This record gives sequence, structure tokens and C-alpha cells, in this order.
Amino acid sequence: MRASAGALPAANMAPPARYCVPGERLCSAEEATAGSGTYTRHGFIFSSLAGCLEKRGEESGLPVVSVVRDAESQLLPDVGAVVTCKVCSINSRFAKVHILYVGSTPLKSTFRGTIRREDIRATEKDKVEVYKSFRPGDIVLAKVISLGDAQSNYLLSTAENELGVVVARSEAGTPFREEEPLTCGVLRGTDGAHQLV
Amino acid sequence: MAAPELLSDEGYRADGRRPAELRKVRARMGVFAQADGSAYIEQGNTKALAVVYGPHEMRGSRSKALPDRALVNCQYSMATFSTGERRRRPHGDRQAGELALQLKQTFEAAILTRLYPRSQIDIYVQILQADGGNYCACVNAATLAVMDAGIPMRDYVCASAAGLAEDTPLADLSGPEEAAGGPRLVLALLPASGQIALLQLSARLHQERLEAVLEAAGRACRALHAVLDRVVRQRLQEVTALLGD
Repeated sequence: MRASAGALPAANMAPPARYCVPGERLCSAEEATAGSGTYTRHGFIFSSLAGCLEKRGEESGLPVVSVVRDAESQLLPDVGAVVTCKVCSINSRFAKVHILYVGSTPLKSTFRGTIRREDIRATEKDKVEVYKSFRPGDIVLAKVISLGDAQSNYLLSTAENELGVVVARSEAGTPFREEEPLTCGVLRGTDGAHQLV
Repeated sequence: MAAPELLSDEGYRADGRRPAELRKVRARMGVFAQADGSAYIEQGNTKALAVVYGPHEMRGSRSKALPDRALVNCQYSMATFSTGERRRRPHGDRQAGELALQLKQTFEAAILTRLYPRSQIDIYVQILQADGGNYCACVNAATLAVMDAGIPMRDYVCASAAGLAEDTPLADLSGPEEAAGGPRLVLALLPASGQIALLQLSARLHQERLEAVLEAAGRACRALHAVLDRVVRQRLQEVTALLGD
């Protein structure tokens, strides 16, 4: 991002922020598009959070009106989101994980997720062994494929090139560090040794 | 009889208020740091505390999770020292269960639950001192707490109870006025749109009087909305000043 010399952050120069409360009518739906923290009703945009009004101009079409709070409100993992999770238990059919981050935002309370055996890898799904792919305590990058149903919690998948184990510990306890996560697990030890997992 | 006690000849109530006057309201948001949102409200002598957690993963049975909405779970509890005589059970009795259900109904109408599928929002309210208008104080405190937690809502939910003394509607009933046994209309209103989230009537009210009492309750809710709005805006300014923009 380029920073022009002598430019102050907008907040210091802008007039005092306009505060909105839930139920406050912001503008008509024809003048702007509803962003986060707002909802539309009867052709008008109303605020749904108590926070500061933000109006961002988009080049194509109408400006986007949103209400932001200083503290981050809870984000829920959505289908298609890439999440960072920690493996808590493994089984021959699936691995159970705790979802810690959604994208780059930490979650206040962890969510439970499951990575099924057939979702660990994209190729040779029947030859996958869960015990060889994950170990309890591994940090994994995964993608949410389903919010789950009555019986299960979030279903995750690591069947892509950018997903999989990112941080793991070897049997001796020393950490492996991985620049590019590989689901079939070639872990490069800190001393340069390779281990095929 | 009930009527002479409720309203004197000069038109003053037992605690010196006018018929349409509300009790003094003091409220604070963000009283607990551990909870996602919390608020404390005093309406006259009634003191209520509300704490909100969520939205988070479903606790307990996952089969109760709604596939397209968040589940709003409420618990209403009265402290053992809140009434004149010591209560034996803070919650778990039938009255607490019914009030919890009414709170759930009220907040499911106000919170935009469709944004959080398969998750749960917990609202716990506790009455520290009960002097009339328990449910109303809970709703008002819970509104502030939900706002403090950053959960999107359609609008404020303001609640007030109204009664009748002979022909005059009374707004914001206090403890002795509720105990007198006259009709009591509880209204939970979304002020900006004028939508009613909950309307409940106890005892008997003549059909011709309903309009007047409902109008009195509505005006009380709107007055309360103005007070709560001030509290929320002040809190926003405090928080922005603390975090330094």
C-alpha cells in the first residue's frame, strides 16, 4: 500500500464521527447500498448496530453504507471460508478439530469442526490414513464445506493445495515448520531433514 | 378499595408521580468485562442486570440448532434477596420459565437471527430488587446488553407496563400498584417502526378502556426509548474516547 507523504489517517482530520443506533434510518435504498451492520426495510436503509456510520464510495454504482463498531463482533465460519484450526482428536474415520481463526480474525469462543477421511485429500481418497495425516495438536488450514446438520458440527476439507497441516510437532517434540502446507505431508524439519508423512 | 389508593384527589399516585410519569431510570452498559455484552438498569426501585453471550456454537443438544437462524436462549432469575420475603428458588419455577419464554419471544423478533445460522445467543437476566415492572426492566436491560455485545438488532426493544385507576391510565406501575390487583398491560415495543414485540394483559380490562391503556403504555415506551438512546450514545462516545478513535 502506498502511503503519500504528509497524509494523516482520515480519522484525525474527519469531523466527529456520526454515531448510529439500531433502528435509526440512515438513508433511502436508492442512494446507497446496505453494507455490514445495516438492513433494508420498505426501501430504506436502517442501522442494526450501535456504532459509527461509514460511507464508502464505490466506483461502480452506489456508495456502500455500513456501521462499524470499535470492538470486533463475533464472526461465524461461513461456507467457503478458510479457517485455522487445531486438531484435538483423531479416529480412523475423521479428525475432530477446534476452529480458532476465521481468515485472520481470532474467534472469542472456539467452534468444533470435523475433517472426514474422504475430505483430507483430493486424490487417492481411499488410500488416506488419518493417523498418518494428522496428529493431535497440529495446526491445520481448512475450508468450511458445510455448516453441519443435526448430528454433526462444521464439516471441513483440506483437499486443496493451499490447505492442510501448517505447524506440527515431531515425535520427539521439536517443531516442524512448513512454508507450503501439503496435505500428503512432506514435513521439513528445522534441521533440514525431510520426513514423509 | 383499590382506586382511591392508586390515585389521590389531586391526581398524584402513591409515590408522588403523575399518572403518565415514568420512574427515574438509570442505566449503564458494559458492566462486566467477561461477558460479550452486559447492562444494568434501575427503574425506580427495580434493579435488573442482563448479560449476553454469543453468538456461539450450540451448547447442549445440537439437534435443537436451527439451520437458518440463531437460537435465542433466555434465562430469567430473581435473586433470593430481591423481594420482601426471601425467595427459595432463584429460577426454575414456573413464573421464571414463563418470563424466560416471553423474553425469548421478544428478542427473537428484534435480533436479526438470520445472520447466524446454527448458533446460539444466550441472554441471562437477573432481578436484584423487584418493585414492579420486573419483565419490563429485564427487556430494557437486555436490549442494552445485546447492543453492547454488538449483535445486530432491528431496533431497540422498550417495555413498559400500564394499569388503570378508575378512568385514568397509569404508566410504569410500581410494586404496590401491581399488587393492588387492577389490570396490568405489558407492552414491548420497537419504537422506530411502532411494531409490537409482546403484548400481555393480566386481570380484567374493559374493551373500551383498552385503547387508552395501550396508548399510555406506548407513550411510556417511547419516553423510555429516548432515555435508553441517550445512554447508548453516551457509551459510544466513552468507548471511542477510550480507544482513541
